[in-house]
Amino acid sequence: MRHQLKVSLGAFAALLAFSAFAFAQGNQASATKQPTAAGAATTEHLSHDLSGVWMQYDDGTAPGFARMNGVDDRRRPPLTPWGQAKFDAAKPLMGPRAVGGQEDSAALHCDPSGPPQLLILPNPWEIVQIPGRTFMFFEEYHIWRTIWTDGRPLPTDPDPSWLGTAVGHWEGDTFVVETVGFNDKVWADLSGNPRSEEMHLTERYRRLNHDTLEQQIIIDDPKSYTKTWVSPPKLHKLEPTWEIAEWFCASSELQTYDKDVRKPSGGATQPSK
Amino acid sequence: MKEVQEKISRTRSQLGDFSVPILPLLPQFPELPSLPYHRQKFLRMRLAIVGASLIFSPLGFAQSSAETNKPAGAAHPQDATVPLSHDLSGVWMQYKDGDVPGTPGMNGVNEHFRPPLTQWGKEKFESASALQGEKAVAGKEDNSALRCEPSGPPQVLILPNPWEIVQIPGRVLMFFEEQHIWREIWTDGRPLPKDPDPSWLGYSVGHWEGDTFVVETIGFNDKEWVDLYGNPRTSTTRLTERYRRLNRDTLEQQIIIEDPRAYTKPWVSPPKLHKLEPGWEIAEWFCVLDENKDYDQAVRKPAGVAPATK
Repeated sequence: MRHQLKVSLGAFAALLAFSAFAFAQGNQASATKQPTAAGAATTEHLSHDLSGVWMQYDDGTAPGFARMNGVDDRRRPPLTPWGQAKFDAAKPLMGPRAVGGQEDSAALHCDPSGPPQLLILPNPWEIVQIPGRTFMFFEEYHIWRTIWTDGRPLPTDPDPSWLGTAVGHWEGDTFVVETVGFNDKVWADLSGNPRSEEMHLTERYRRLNHDTLEQQIIIDDPKSYTKTWVSPPKLHKLEPTWEIAEWFCASSELQTYDKDVRKPSGGATQPSK
Repeated sequence: MKEVQEKISRTRSQLGDFSVPILPLLPQFPELPSLPYHRQKFLRMRLAIVGASLIFSPLGFAQSSAETNKPAGAAHPQDATVPLSHDLSGVWMQYKDGDVPGTPGMNGVNEHFRPPLTQWGKEKFESASALQGEKAVAGKEDNSALRCEPSGPPQVLILPNPWEIVQIPGRVLMFFEEQHIWREIWTDGRPLPKDPDPSWLGYSVGHWEGDTFVVETIGFNDKEWVDLYGNPRTSTTRLTERYRRLNRDTLEQQIIIEDPRAYTKPWVSPPKLHKLEPGWEIAEWFCVLDENKDYDQAVRKPAGVAPATK
């Protein structure tokens, strides 16, 4: 049964902030400060410095395994007919609809991943801020994206692209990123939920304290979904000693991996056309 | 080859909007001389003189219709004491130069200056299906980038696409429109790693020597060439790049390849100039295998060019 919880975001954020350390600690050795409650945070000025290498917290659904729920399908609104058709046709990588041996995903073809999918994968990522721009670097397929903070507006008629065009601005303590101009070749998540060319993606970032970044993903895609899809904020931990490692998806390496690992274990191989 | 190029252009314009990466038109290179050793030595000596004179003389590049094609006035001899800026930031684009009028020479790694190959290097070179040059066979061209394998240094440094330098504390970042690639050059004083795992981009550190930013990279894999001719890049390749911002609008880049396993001597290419493009931003351009396969069907096969994908 779907829960259409109508809680205010502020209350939800407060709840999440207090429950942050019910998360599986796993082998997080370094001491992590409790993120402050949202209520208290509004009277303090949170840092506008978001820079660092970040890694999402594992959370309770699958202990020891990052849940990848920055886009939370339990909160997904109903699909439009177009969205439903795309969803049904997708062969998801995970979730109840995934069929062993038949998974498909753009990533298996070494297609580039883009937001929001790119934002929810459990790999290190890094924020670098310079005047007029914020960069995000993802270990996932060595992807980088630019968020323009020079005051320019979103483009009115962008060509579809893998990463979209992103602009960002500050609202008090929150860095708000808006992205349009996506193509429809990447899912919004790993369950096959669609991303259409009409998607308007909003991300909201707050550095709750030195070691904790809060990220919230809000999807407006009237072509795919009948309502705005608001996922609960997700917390990321600062990893001060980490550096983004090189990780490319090269089809020649995928083919070797198919031969040596996937086929023998009965997993889906890189699809060939 | 020219007929193939024309076919490609015609077919592409008929096809309309087809968002795939556009291969640079393959230039017809003149027959490469195989230079005897003493001639190479002479050329290398001349190189040092040419390199020095580049600072002081106006540069005679192939003039296209773009009025800004000529680098802004180079320093006069009496300005030699003024230090060059350590600010390398900006979007850069290599100048076209004289080898093939109207087409960038892609000669940041310059075949005319390649030292003799070792026996092992020769075998690698012979077995490569070159994309360009005298060894290239129409219909059989190959290059890892055609299969959307990542393009790393030095190949990514010589392709005629916009690229950008951003300097931040402890690092210099380079962004390439080519395959949306980025690389990090560590400037925090760390040494090169002792035993790096092979990778597409290698591991880079950089430091300043006076006016020159010197980048050193090791830890390459051997899955791509140093150029488009099939000259090998291996796990023992050591790449040095030297950058100088000659003036606000001009960046000089020199590429030096050392790999005793493949080349009998260091391979020192002449410096190449890049123009600042203040109005440009790096566009998104991914090489996507699925799109490449479609492009093969629609364009390359009909044009008689080797398909990119197998």
